[in-house]
Amino acid sequence: MAVETQQGGAVGQSVRKVDGPSLVAGKPLFTLDLDIPGSLVGAILPSPHAHARIVSVDTSAAEQVPGVRAILHHGNVPRVPYTTAGQGWPEPSPYDTVLFDTKVRFVGDRVAAVAAETEDAAAEALARIRVEYELLPPILSPEEALAPGAPIIHDEPDAEGIYDASHNIAAAVDIPIGDAAAALAAAPVTAEATCEIPYSQHATIEPHCVIAYFDDAGRLVVRTSTQVPFHVRRIVARVVGLDPARIRVVKPRIGGGFGSKQEVLLEPVAALLALRTGRPVRMAYTRQEVFVASRTRHPMKVTVRLGATKDGALHALEMDVLSNTGAYGAHALTVLSNVGSKTLPLYNKAPHVHFHGRAVYTNLPVAGAYRGYGATQGYFALEVAMDKLAEKLGLDPVELRRRNYIRVGETSPIFEKIGEGREGTAQIVRSCALEECLRIGAERIGWREKRGQRREEGPWVHGLGMACAMQGSGITGVDMAAATLVMQDDGSFRLLVGATDLGTGSDTILAQIAAQELGVPVDRVLVYSSDTDFTPFDTGAYASSTTYVSGNAVLRAASDVRAQILDVAAAALGERASALELAAGVVRSRKSGKSLTLSEIGHRATYVTDQRQIAATASFACPESPPPFAAFFCEVAVDRETGVVRVERFVVAADCGVAIHPQAAEGQLEGAVLQGIGHALCEEMLFSPRGRCLNAGFFDYKIPSSLDAPAIEAILVPSEEPTGPWGAKSISEVGINGPLPAISNAIYDAVGARMVRAPFTPERVRFALGVIP
Amino acid sequence: MDLPEIVRPRDLADAVRLTGEGGKPLVGGTDLFVRLRKGAERPPFLVYVGELPELRGIHETEGGVEIGAAATHVEILSAPATAQLPILRLALATIGSPALRHMGTLGGNVVNASPAGDGLVPLYLLGAQVNVVGPARERSLPVEEFVLGPGRTALQPGELIRSLTIPLPRDGAHPYFRKVGRRQALLIAVASLGALVWVEDGAVREARLALGSVAPTVLRPREVERALVGRPLTVEALAELRDALSSAVRPISDLRASADYRRRVSGNLLLDLSSLASG
Repeated sequence: MAVETQQGGAVGQSVRKVDGPSLVAGKPLFTLDLDIPGSLVGAILPSPHAHARIVSVDTSAAEQVPGVRAILHHGNVPRVPYTTAGQGWPEPSPYDTVLFDTKVRFVGDRVAAVAAETEDAAAEALARIRVEYELLPPILSPEEALAPGAPIIHDEPDAEGIYDASHNIAAAVDIPIGDAAAALAAAPVTAEATCEIPYSQHATIEPHCVIAYFDDAGRLVVRTSTQVPFHVRRIVARVVGLDPARIRVVKPRIGGGFGSKQEVLLEPVAALLALRTGRPVRMAYTRQEVFVASRTRHPMKVTVRLGATKDGALHALEMDVLSNTGAYGAHALTVLSNVGSKTLPLYNKAPHVHFHGRAVYTNLPVAGAYRGYGATQGYFALEVAMDKLAEKLGLDPVELRRRNYIRVGETSPIFEKIGEGREGTAQIVRSCALEECLRIGAERIGWREKRGQRREEGPWVHGLGMACAMQGSGITGVDMAAATLVMQDDGSFRLLVGATDLGTGSDTILAQIAAQELGVPVDRVLVYSSDTDFTPFDTGAYASSTTYVSGNAVLRAASDVRAQILDVAAAALGERASALELAAGVVRSRKSGKSLTLSEIGHRATYVTDQRQIAATASFACPESPPPFAAFFCEVAVDRETGVVRVERFVVAADCGVAIHPQAAEGQLEGAVLQGIGHALCEEMLFSPRGRCLNAGFFDYKIPSSLDAPAIEAILVPSEEPTGPWGAKSISEVGINGPLPAISNAIYDAVGARMVRAPFTPERVRFALGVIP
Repeated sequence: MDLPEIVRPRDLADAVRLTGEGGKPLVGGTDLFVRLRKGAERPPFLVYVGELPELRGIHETEGGVEIGAAATHVEILSAPATAQLPILRLALATIGSPALRHMGTLGGNVVNASPAGDGLVPLYLLGAQVNVVGPARERSLPVEEFVLGPGRTALQPGELIRSLTIPLPRDGAHPYFRKVGRRQALLIAVASLGALVWVEDGAVREARLALGSVAPTVLRPREVERALVGRPLTVEALAELRDALSSAVRPISDLRASADYRRRVSGNLLLDLSSLASG
């Protein structure tokens, strides 16, 4: 029998990641690490034009290339409108995509696909496909898309769910509460900011990749780097025309997602190539393809208008959004909705709120889910406007937030009015430690002493800035997660979850949540995620959902199993279950002091008396989405001569409820902040006048490296979320919402220039400074 | 990528012969492999000259330092002989990343002739000589005459760089080097300024300036250098020459920045020399 180790209190401890040792040892865990004999290589022919009709596709020369096994294009693939966005049901993104269309809508759009014996043969075949195009005028900005008489990007008759295709509007939202316009006109003090964010990259280490092959029973197995295995199964089945029961989706270890893999891109192509050839097919995007043909953040222009009383109480809040969804509307409506729904409730005191936005098609790469999911764009404008308002009021920016942010027991009408592309769910805030976050953050950065001092060091001038943000924990009315927990005959446990660990550490965190309830150390819970044949359903790893939604499912399954364990022990000991307690791997009677180890209980239930499998499957549907909160403070130095901005220090204090794994939670904050610093200082995809991406790769598109990372101080400020598993809320996204406004506000504090267009490159900052030194 | 064959010469004469046959000399490959991969260059074969003793080593000569063409940036940074050339160390320490500095060579930087070459800036400041070996003869020419334009040098077919000779500057020079861009690491500068300034009684006695990324080659703005003489290193005094420096450069617009910005920043970087007065 197994030795029972002694360790309780798994929650709140930074235990070793369950997949850490194998990752460190370089075990073959990732999608493409599996080498299936006889695999073909799949490759995609991208469009060289931003907007064109395909007149003809001639594959005769390509078919002659030795080793070519299949070629797909619009002429030989059924036309099924769908969306690549991997979301719940009903799918909120428009069905404006087909696998291979007769029209291309951006440089990099899919024209054809090839499967061949070797990479060289595939490349040769792609080069020999002759495509005749009829060029159409490209639309390269949302403003052009909305201009009267603009070419129509989605003129196909079979698209569904587009808001107004004839005006290139993929989605639109208009939520008036009270009369914001009148309230703004009457407000004693007003402030306004318009902020812009360009195209940017998730920059995951692992590109999108997939292997499609057949199992012994002839079923199609799709092994893929995805955040949404169950959505992949559903969407691939529909697009390829296969019974979903004949598809198994396996998610191995993932090398990062950040939203870019909440998208079904290569999977249906690989599946179709495998079906056509009867052979395994492996496909992976090159980095250049990841840049242009996967997904990006939605570029946006957001205007915020604030009206306040003289004592700084917000009275009116208006937010106007122009979102560029690119050539297809993946996440167009939901990202747009989240610009308002994840920002406006933070300042819930204003009785007059107006949220208005449009997501517009252009002939540029397709935007999609990206950590922050619209909130990042919204907070940039909101928190810069708050800084301006504070200045007009002569109020400390921290104090202005303090007078307006949402408190425990309060609600915001926005929660109910804006959901994921439909109405949301009314909810009250049950946990919020923003007050503490503000206090600790301000103290740590030296807010009182250093702000407004404009300390100089040669050409460098120092300044301080701050911002606040919240996010959610899962999507109400949409997200559902399930977990199956099985007790083995040796008293250890197997936890099967559809939840998708992307490198976030969720396998470890879910094991901790179960271990805490079961009174065992984490290493007694073996976690397996996620495989549509073996693990129960989960909507996937997005929307800051896993710890809260999947964690609650795990906790429910664990309490059920715990009750079953106590029942077996009660029968064995001849006592009532209510007299028993489970701790440190032992069930003990408070009355008699008699005890049984978990391995004795497992053995008894499996082999001895009243035999049964101790196991439970539980699910959790997200009734509310408790927001995590964060306060961001930074110190920058701005070189007046060159416009270079250096982030000297960055402090983020965040409330994610009870941190199940503090180190992982801090890691999420640090990573999100660094990604946000990239948005603020260097990241921007550039395009030629014909819509070709000019910096599709890390040589010309710069993300912050370790030498650029400032000291990031991530502080977890505990609260207790009553609806969360062991008091937990989410943490993965909120951290990316602060750097853009906090750094912009700090630059203003240093040199008096308002940076409203990201990234704040040396050139833009220098320009904003004008001609004076 | 299909790499051309790499051949290893027996000795320097063999390397010269192979180069004469069209072989491309190779040491670290940090620039060359990128160009091969892009298809920007298609030599019939590569000649690995990284182990030729004549191309290796860093040693003091009379009045200077001689650096073998195959010496890596890290070797140069850690060689005792270069302790007398702080400006060289300052600039080389900003090149790429540790990996690139371990593989890349100063000789390669010179032959690559990029206007953004960080290693070239100190060579211009110090008046380095490029020692070239070819089938007929050895010759030596100043780096300013060696580099002709972006990617263009005075190398004749069959010639390769054997070494660089760097004369020691007069005592008392204040070194300055700074590059400007969006981030710190692995950065191709938008503009860079290197300087050697001698100060006497609070005024500039001699100044040498070299700018990177703002003209087809690294640039020595000699009029501004002369105009600096006699001035104090104050922001006010330097500001008077800012426009002169801005108009001395001939930048282009590219992905990284516009010509206007480069022009303005070149002038503004001059103000940064005031930091030398206190240091």
